[in-house]
Amino acid sequence: MSVPQISVFLESRPGHLRRILDAFVEADINVRGFSASDTGDYGVVRFIVDDANRANEVLKAMGCATAVSEVLCLRLPDRPGELARVMGIIAERDLNVLYTYSLISTYIAVCVKDIPHAEEILRDEPVELADSKDIAARLDGIA
Amino acid sequence: MTATGINEAEKIDVSVKGAALAAANAGKFDQLPIYDRAIECSSRERIRAIQLEKLIAQVEWTYERVEWYRRKMDEMGVKPSDIRTLEDVRKLPFTDKSALRDTFPYGLFAVPLDEVVELHASSGTTGKPIVVGYNDHDMDVWSDCIARLSQMAGVVPSDRVQMAFGYGMFTGGFGLHYGLQKLGCMMIPAGSGNTERQIQMIQDYGTTVLVATPTYALHICEVGERMGYDWATSTLRVGLFGGEPCPPGLKQEIESRMHIVCTDNYGLTEVMGPGVSGECLANRDMQHIAEDHFLWEVVDPETGVPVPEGEMGELVLTPLDKQAIPVLRYRTHDLTRVVTDKCACGRTHARMQKVRSRSDDMLIIRGTNVFPSQVEDVLTSIEGVTPHYRIIVEEVDGLDRMTVQTEIKPETFSDSFEEMDRFRALVAEKLKSVLLVGVRVQLIEPGGIERTTGKAKHVEDRRK
Ligand SMILES: [Zn+2]
Repeated sequence: MSVPQISVFLESRPGHLRRILDAFVEADINVRGFSASDTGDYGVVRFIVDDANRANEVLKAMGCATAVSEVLCLRLPDRPGELARVMGIIAERDLNVLYTYSLISTYIAVCVKDIPHAEEILRDEPVELADSKDIAARLDGIA
Repeated sequence: MTATGINEAEKIDVSVKGAALAAANAGKFDQLPIYDRAIECSSRERIRAIQLEKLIAQVEWTYERVEWYRRKMDEMGVKPSDIRTLEDVRKLPFTDKSALRDTFPYGLFAVPLDEVVELHASSGTTGKPIVVGYNDHDMDVWSDCIARLSQMAGVVPSDRVQMAFGYGMFTGGFGLHYGLQKLGCMMIPAGSGNTERQIQMIQDYGTTVLVATPTYALHICEVGERMGYDWATSTLRVGLFGGEPCPPGLKQEIESRMHIVCTDNYGLTEVMGPGVSGECLANRDMQHIAEDHFLWEVVDPETGVPVPEGEMGELVLTPLDKQAIPVLRYRTHDLTRVVTDKCACGRTHARMQKVRSRSDDMLIIRGTNVFPSQVEDVLTSIEGVTPHYRIIVEEVDGLDRMTVQTEIKPETFSDSFEEMDRFRALVAEKLKSVLLVGVRVQLIEPGGIERTTGKAKHVEDRRK
């Protein structure tokens, strides 16, 4: 159980992210979570959206450098200490996390090298994996 | 059978897309047009004779009519009668940009302004512009040069030419316009900018020839691709480039993506404008100098002494029949080499190698000489980056630091800083092996480096 993520290569300059977000608005694409990280020279912005394929087409048509990949999405109960608990499990089980970011506070995206392996490991752990449908249902509920 | 022995049925129609280049690649140069065969293919002896006759007259004209040159020559103790051979040109004073700037606007004019029919200017980076004027005769010579280079690329009178240069004071727009019109082409004066409209016009008017800077042509190409315009079936057949140097990698890319044949020409406002030399299809790295109109020398940029024929040096030009503003031995600061052997295309006029660097755009980085063209060569050899780049030089803690910004292609991107850093290190390594000095490489997103419609500004030197 994983969710698609789109990564976009961007020079670290203001205005560049805006151009992409405007295109999403125009194409009626709903951004459910994102993270921007950079090395000082260039950055990668990662998005989880309601329609990854269409979003990717929009970006490609703009001439953007993009990559679509899968990430795990973990759903956390909305209680103090949950993030620490889940991260603790990941650390104990030696999962190699490349990066992680949160969508809404109780959903966090976790990028690992080997998704099936991670799923296997997490299956027996007290963590809840979410897929795109779960995210949609959850967000529709609070919207 | 025709007089040349070629069967009429075999005659290649160069107005067919791809035909001129195919004929050139097959060595069938007798099938390609030559605008003024009598002049462009005459013997070397005849060319030299024409040059000498014109040089003598030109020096007399200049000495008699332009005080600035008269004073210079008097100071040097040279009289027009001292010019008896082509080599005697070396007795004459050099001219550089400052002469035109110091005499702004009309100080070097040799004819009354009543006789001048057109004025042009080049912007220049500092101070006053360089102003040049042309009388009817000068305009004829100019058009002649343009008609020749257009035919070198396979342009014919039935062509429809879309001018995507800006008109205005810049010599590129009107210079090519008149020359192509003289050839008999239908001119479509689109001007620069509004790229989507440019593509619409190509479609609406059946444009066959595009005049543009190579950078802008690539931009038109990219915008067209994004709009879904099919360049393979487009009427467009030829690109005539100018306004900035066109590196081979960029030209190849435009040719294959737009399905056209592209040539570029060389020229400077100070000696006329575009058209001093033009590229034929026999050797895409060389340009035929219009030798009946220009006397060339190649000199050591430091000493001003001529280098042996075929060796690299600074190009010095003396226009041979320029009436409104005569110019003697103009220092172009462009580095090239010139050869005089006969070209496969049949033309006998000397050929200069395309100018890749200028004596004054050499950068000195921590004591090492670096030319932007070297950076360009390395980048074009790397899959995964586009031909667009920028060089930034700055001083950091008392040391020169050179940064090369290069645009990645969309497919180069992988969502891993590790891999991107590895790619960046590879680019840096390749640059270092050629430049012999370490550079910092910055990867830029596709389209992130500004496309300009004029001279692409590749270097930003922030030192001092
Ligand atoms: Zn030739």
